[in-house]
Amino acid sequence: MTVAVASMHPGGAYSEWKGPAAGTLDRTVPRFGTRGHSIAWLGDRVCDEVALVGGKAVNLSRLAAKFPVPPGFCLTSVAFDRAVGRAFLGGEEPSAASLPPGLYGELAHAYRTLGERCGVDAPGVAVRSSALDEDGAGASFAGQHETYLNVVGAAAVAEAVAHCWASAHSSRALQYRRQHGLALDRFRIAVLIQQLVQADVSSVMFSAHPVTGNRDEVMINASWGLGESIVGGTVTPDTYLVRKADMATISRHIAEKRRMTVTASQGTREVEVPRFLRAQPTLTEDQVMEMARLGMALERSMGHPVDVECAYRARKLYLLQCRPITTLAVSR
Amino acid sequence: MSNATVAQDTHAVRIIAPPQFPVTWEHADDEQLTWLHDRMHNPDPVLPLENAFWGRVYEAFNRATEAYDMPVRLKTRCINTYFYMAAKTVVAPEEMEAQRARADERMDAAMARLHSLWTEEWFPEIRSHLAWWDTFDLSRATVPELLGHLEETLSRLLRLWEIHFRVVLPSYIAMSQLDDLYRDLFDGDGAFGSYRLLQGFDNKTLEADRALWELSRRALASDEVRRVLEAYPAPEVVAEMGKTPAGGAFRDELDAYLREYGLRGEKWGLRYPCWIEDPSAAIKNLKNYIMQCDLNPTRERAKLAAERDAAVAAVRGRLQDYPGPVVERFEFLLKAAQEGVVLSEDHGFWIDFGATYRLRRVLLEFGRRLCEAGTIDKTSDVFYLTVDEVRASVAVPHCGDHRSLVELRRRDVEHFRAITPPPALGADNGPPPDDPMGRFFGKFFGGPPPAAESPDVLKGNAGSPGRVRGPAKVIRSLADAEKLRAGDVLVAETTAPPWTPLFATAAAIVTDSGGVLSHCAVVAREYRIPAVVGTGRATTTIRDGEMVEVDGDAGLVRICPA
Repeated sequence: MTVAVASMHPGGAYSEWKGPAAGTLDRTVPRFGTRGHSIAWLGDRVCDEVALVGGKAVNLSRLAAKFPVPPGFCLTSVAFDRAVGRAFLGGEEPSAASLPPGLYGELAHAYRTLGERCGVDAPGVAVRSSALDEDGAGASFAGQHETYLNVVGAAAVAEAVAHCWASAHSSRALQYRRQHGLALDRFRIAVLIQQLVQADVSSVMFSAHPVTGNRDEVMINASWGLGESIVGGTVTPDTYLVRKADMATISRHIAEKRRMTVTASQGTREVEVPRFLRAQPTLTEDQVMEMARLGMALERSMGHPVDVECAYRARKLYLLQCRPITTLAVSR
Repeated sequence: MSNATVAQDTHAVRIIAPPQFPVTWEHADDEQLTWLHDRMHNPDPVLPLENAFWGRVYEAFNRATEAYDMPVRLKTRCINTYFYMAAKTVVAPEEMEAQRARADERMDAAMARLHSLWTEEWFPEIRSHLAWWDTFDLSRATVPELLGHLEETLSRLLRLWEIHFRVVLPSYIAMSQLDDLYRDLFDGDGAFGSYRLLQGFDNKTLEADRALWELSRRALASDEVRRVLEAYPAPEVVAEMGKTPAGGAFRDELDAYLREYGLRGEKWGLRYPCWIEDPSAAIKNLKNYIMQCDLNPTRERAKLAAERDAAVAAVRGRLQDYPGPVVERFEFLLKAAQEGVVLSEDHGFWIDFGATYRLRRVLLEFGRRLCEAGTIDKTSDVFYLTVDEVRASVAVPHCGDHRSLVELRRRDVEHFRAITPPPALGADNGPPPDDPMGRFFGKFFGGPPPAAESPDVLKGNAGSPGRVRGPAKVIRSLADAEKLRAGDVLVAETTAPPWTPLFATAAAIVTDSGGVLSHCAVVAREYRIPAVVGTGRATTTIRDGEMVEVDGDAGLVRICPA
């Protein structure tokens, strides 16, 4: 089971994601005169602009309107343009100083606001790139973009942002773009900054059985800590199978979970699960139901079976990512 | 085990008893069990009445494990005058997992409210039992009244020791589980990482020690009192004090101390006179104390507590990175273990010693009457009789003469006293299981000591941190207490709670028995002196006066070349 899950995420959490269906969005010219927005909050109208924030952020922003997505904001392509031409793009080590002072001020302000929304002074955030033309030529950008987890403090966030920008212009990235026939000059990138949910339990859920392709079942994999250990396949998670018709748990396998990802100073690390916790079930029956209902609602909303990442923190369920299952076996 | 052969039809390895320690098994099943000699509580041969007493104690243990749904029971047996016990599971293998889950639930329920269980239920009941004994006039009781009193004594004893184990099981299991979790989370933080979170709490043992220390400061305030303590051997001190007004006043203070804290003998068991009967041990400690400069136990405790609070705060900081269930479990176990570490000493003050003293008085009254009747020679010979023999001979006065029986048994005890009992008999079933229960037993009793590479190095369990060098003093009983001087390393088979006043004088402690959760180690940490416990052979290897280096962190004792 783990092998199946891991194989669907060869390059990390977002590698399989292809963005919204092609043709639904104008991906070059921002609408609504949003040219001036350097910051766009998830759930805000501005964050619906693929040309500003990239497909990944647009998708999350739309989900945020209906589902419990952790708060976050984007440094848009406008912000990228303001920073372009600065020395770091020519090879200087990316740092907080790579941002123009005005942009840094806006980022710091947005980060403070995010802290207020999360109820903490200096929240840990996930910083990840959201390319503007990710699905332009059917390219997955597998492994081309960086993700920084548990970044704490405005300066550290700014540095992570600079690294995201720089990685998009790395020789490896340029080579990739060349190979896929993508524009080399007009390329821009947005960066998503989102509260890192310090998960008690993380879960990867499929609203259809990922192995058999059975669309009548929801499969939930869950393990302790952040989701990296499940996604990376270093832990055998608990597996719950829920039948959609009557919401019955038809199978429940509690695994001996030996590894978990926890936060560390400016990052994460994988540690041993304490012995007392290894064989304990990660989810209560109520949580399995709550999660299955979320999966089914997302499937209805997306109009397609989905692959969902979510997390529990202090018994509250967060939706971290949702994408259509592109590799679903043909069933029936 | 080197002296072992594989027994047929079983995975267990039969332990061959040495020829000077012959064993016959009453039941074939018994030979399949691992019988361990509890050297920590019973290093010496036990007398017949003590055997009955310990049998009752472990009957109470079984009641407590039953109450907690634990699948384990203990069998006990006196083998060649030494007290052995064996653990036995009482659940079929296929039911074990469900039984363990029930036991965990029960144990957690007790751990969740240890302090309130103690203050609201257990302690009031203990006090009521002790008060019952104190209102009974032993010397004036008629024979039937005394016999009735004995029966009720035995039944109250069973109940008190059931409470004892209901207290200690969750107390120690909480400490052990906190340590397990701490090691899982912060591996490589030394042997004492979790125990630093439990230090600096007051308990009855430390309170008794402190009261004795304070008594020594009052002795120093009077030249006359100090002179008596300095000049006279311990047995003469009390009489000598009576000769001056200041001495008389001090004697009254000493009496008040003994009434409060003196219901303790030198070890667990019935035959040891308590300090209130013979205050020599207390006086020997006082003689040591008046030679030492000031230390302030209250300030030392505050320092330990501040260190503890800082350590707890640091751990909480580190735990912010961990999932909620880890943090919740840690906080649960920390609270239970902090309450448990206090109860792990307090229960003993009231039950192991307080109740045992009452039982001893009842039995001594029988002894006095049997002695008067000529059935035995000395009052304390009563401990060489069985409960049935005591009952029968008191009921029918002048009917029996047990003097030769006592003599026979005394010779038996003295014969075996000279023989070191094997640490284990029956079958070697391998090390205890690596589960929470097995780990707790290991941390309390210490397990078999590992062999050392060099004859000059003893390996034991890390008991209390620090490293110190000093002359060894092998103390076999509190009668030797006087030979311990400040800066000496106290070497003993085991140290019962009444030994801990010596910790204020000793520079370090080395014992033959016990683990990191033994009384000795727990209290040594409170005294902030290094301790290596459970070496197995310190008292037989280290000679009096030899220079030794004690490494409490590594659990090593090095005998330095002369």
